[in-house]
Amino acid sequence: MPTPTLLQSIAITLIQCVLVVLFVFVVVPLTVFAERKVLGHLQQRLGSTRVASGHIGVTGWMNRGMWKWGRIPVLSYWRGIPGLLADVLKLILKEDIIPAKADKFVFFIAPALSMVSAVVVFAAISFVPGTFFVFPSWFPGLAGLPVSGGIADINVGLLWILGVASVGVYGIVLAGWASNSKYPLLGGLRSAAQMVSYEVPLAISLLAPVVLTGSLNFGEMAQRMATGTSAWGLVPQVFGFLIYLTCGFAETNRLPFDMPEAENELVAGFHTEYSGMKFGFFYLAEYINMTVVSALAAGFFLGGSWLLPFGLQGLANQLLPAGAWIAGPHAIFFVAKIIFLLFTYIWVRGTIPRYRYDQVMSVAWKYLIPLALVNLLLAAFVRCAV
Amino acid sequence: MNKFLRTLIPSDIAKGMAITGKHFCKVFFTANRRKVPFHIVSEYPEVVAKVQPRYRGRLTLLKDEQGEIKCVCCLACEKICPTQVITIEKGKKEGRKMPYPVRYDFEMERCIFCEFCVESCGFDSIILNHQFELATYNREDFSLGMEGLSQNMFEPSPVGKFSVADD
Amino acid sequence: MFKNEEMEINLGPQHPSTHGVLRVKLRLDGETITHCKPVIGYLHRGVEKICENQTFFQGQVWTDRMDYCSAVANNLGWAEANEKLFGITVPRRAQYIRTLLNEFNRLASHLIWLATHALDIGAMTVFLYAFREREDILDMNEAFCGSRLTTTAFRIGGLREDLPPGFEKMARKFLAKFPTCLEEYENLLSENRIWKKRTVGVAMLSAEDAIALGVTGPVLRAAGVPYDIRKAFPYAAYAEMDFEVPTQTAADTYARYLVRMAEMRQSARIIQQCLDGLPEGPVMAKIPKILKPEVNEVYHATEAPKGEIGYYLVGEKGSINPYRFHVRAPGFINLQSLPKMAEGGLIADIVAAIGTLDIVLGEIDR
Repeated sequence: MPTPTLLQSIAITLIQCVLVVLFVFVVVPLTVFAERKVLGHLQQRLGSTRVASGHIGVTGWMNRGMWKWGRIPVLSYWRGIPGLLADVLKLILKEDIIPAKADKFVFFIAPALSMVSAVVVFAAISFVPGTFFVFPSWFPGLAGLPVSGGIADINVGLLWILGVASVGVYGIVLAGWASNSKYPLLGGLRSAAQMVSYEVPLAISLLAPVVLTGSLNFGEMAQRMATGTSAWGLVPQVFGFLIYLTCGFAETNRLPFDMPEAENELVAGFHTEYSGMKFGFFYLAEYINMTVVSALAAGFFLGGSWLLPFGLQGLANQLLPAGAWIAGPHAIFFVAKIIFLLFTYIWVRGTIPRYRYDQVMSVAWKYLIPLALVNLLLAAFVRCAV
Repeated sequence: MNKFLRTLIPSDIAKGMAITGKHFCKVFFTANRRKVPFHIVSEYPEVVAKVQPRYRGRLTLLKDEQGEIKCVCCLACEKICPTQVITIEKGKKEGRKMPYPVRYDFEMERCIFCEFCVESCGFDSIILNHQFELATYNREDFSLGMEGLSQNMFEPSPVGKFSVADD
Repeated sequence: MFKNEEMEINLGPQHPSTHGVLRVKLRLDGETITHCKPVIGYLHRGVEKICENQTFFQGQVWTDRMDYCSAVANNLGWAEANEKLFGITVPRRAQYIRTLLNEFNRLASHLIWLATHALDIGAMTVFLYAFREREDILDMNEAFCGSRLTTTAFRIGGLREDLPPGFEKMARKFLAKFPTCLEEYENLLSENRIWKKRTVGVAMLSAEDAIALGVTGPVLRAAGVPYDIRKAFPYAAYAEMDFEVPTQTAADTYARYLVRMAEMRQSARIIQQCLDGLPEGPVMAKIPKILKPEVNEVYHATEAPKGEIGYYLVGEKGSINPYRFHVRAPGFINLQSLPKMAEGGLIADIVAAIGTLDIVLGEIDR
């Protein structure tokens, strides 16, 4: 394969960026839709099935149409999609209100900060193992060049992700501060303390697989996890996964840790004063963060991004003949893991109540950090002794 | 030690998750079934809502077999109404011995659907019908009378405005 | 260098968890509440004054609209207060049906309490599960009297109509499935560590304080005082029923949750007894066409789901309207304990405290 020139590699990176952003903007609305449906089903409802509540006009026509088409089994499940599109349209068209005494610049920059820090994380996550595709020979300027599965396959991917993701808290704190309103202020203060506290056990729990595999690079970790570690490595893996998931819930402000926007206490928390697409950015950022946390969990705890989870890959490789489809790394495993974890997010949200603010903090400092440290010790022991 | 283990192992949360998970599966696999689905949703405008026989809906004036208004203007309903929504003007009509209501006004926006008027009526000349889709866009539509604007008080059970009966 | 300031914040009148138009003025030190003052009156309609200008017969519809979650219990109190005033004896069958509907209403009211209380604390699934059962009870209300919420169920002297055909079947079907539904809620909440953390030891109100503030109902019973008007001063057919008054001693939010859950079981028991022992006979006593009071004044208290609801009626000789009408609304008096419960707690605790008091603003403001 030819080596790309500087200009060519910039072009390839730009194309990759567009692809990632497209991926994000497809996944996020689908997550929102899934949340409505799954939450509905958990609560013995149907979830969204219609556009607005209309019975006349265009929405009425659409609703009746969807009712008719809903007789077809698979289509019936997607009846809520037009409602989702209508929501997006509403967010874009809605009047953007800035409170009179708000700090206008900070008020403006806060949702952007949230959004950017959420999206930029994807730079270090590889979606597809190896090469995603090779440009065909007719493609002007880039013919024959490969496009890898991630934007930047850097060796310190974990550090990049933790570093950038922690900038996201600024968005929330600044939003709470700039609104110049009491409920958002409380929400912002809560999130400052909460997200800073939970980053500690989150990072420590992520260190366990790093210690086990001895690498910070996604691809290498996946490979070594499948082949290199012993069966005892599973213990710190499972414990670490539970700790990580708990911290992940807190980092993304989801129930049971949704302190910054605890609806029944702080109305809407830090985004009380936001409307229109600025609110939409916070909304998007939350779901992107959920995806990021799920992607990380898939990469670190569920047996690498593209392999079967929990050492099953090693088993499969032994049992199946070499070259079997399941033996190789596949992007579909990655997607399946993310979907499962997103489902868990929604499942937990539908089931359990919300912690109180001081209890959230005590869970982090009294339980999660010691447990994560013990888990790290365990991982180190497994690495050295076995 | 036992307490410590209970803190560590989230069995209580697993119990709750099992319940909601069970509901999810049941609803998910029966969602397409129209006959006996597990979910409790009634898709209202498309599926006509059924009311019980004693349902108290909109006030309706009844006519007898000859098409004659049964009301004889005893004013019992007007007196007993807790919100004073009924106004009757007594009058006479050719060929009828009993008094005849020249006007029978019913301000539906104030009506609280208590059915005291029906209870007080000694001539069975009014009922509350089964209509519950009473919302309108104009305030005037709430003023019902003998010759109402959009709906008068004679239709015993007008067709629902929003329910789209499925074939 | 740093100045320490307290922040004043308005919880409500528009707020997701104030259950209506309650406004609570809070002074916060960080997240800790140092001062709490409920402000009421946003839903004042003058129910008492309206009733003084209407006949005894008409008054009942206004009691529907006080505590709209437990309209039947309000109707029962109103009807019995009037019967006391006019010296009417109600037929036994009517008493049984009244008891039956009152207990169904207690279930509905407790279910709506459970739903909103759990939602306030963040357990949103319990909300819909509880509403699922409440729907059946509302259907039964509709079958009996034609309305789901504002029932106007009873008449002075008995009932307007007997139970409709098919009612007993509906009720028995509901009773058959209700215990499993209760178990469902309890599995979701009772042992859940977060639910316990949010409720155990939160919003305490000791028995002494509760009695001093006049608090009644499950809030009082959760403090260990077994005061239930159904047992203490039996009315309707409660004297013939076999049931217990559940109490707890912890006096916190979790104890109130346990008391109410146990009360729902007892209610189901009473309903079962009513259905099994339903006597035959008329449902309406012989009463004069126009009611004119003989006695001058009457106070009649019944056990509404929220606590003691008392009706004070003063009749004037020869007048068809009450001279004075006053309601001892349980929600209004229970709400006065909110500062005692919430002060010193966190902002999340006041949400639990409002939820555990089970207030309905229609009744508080009247």
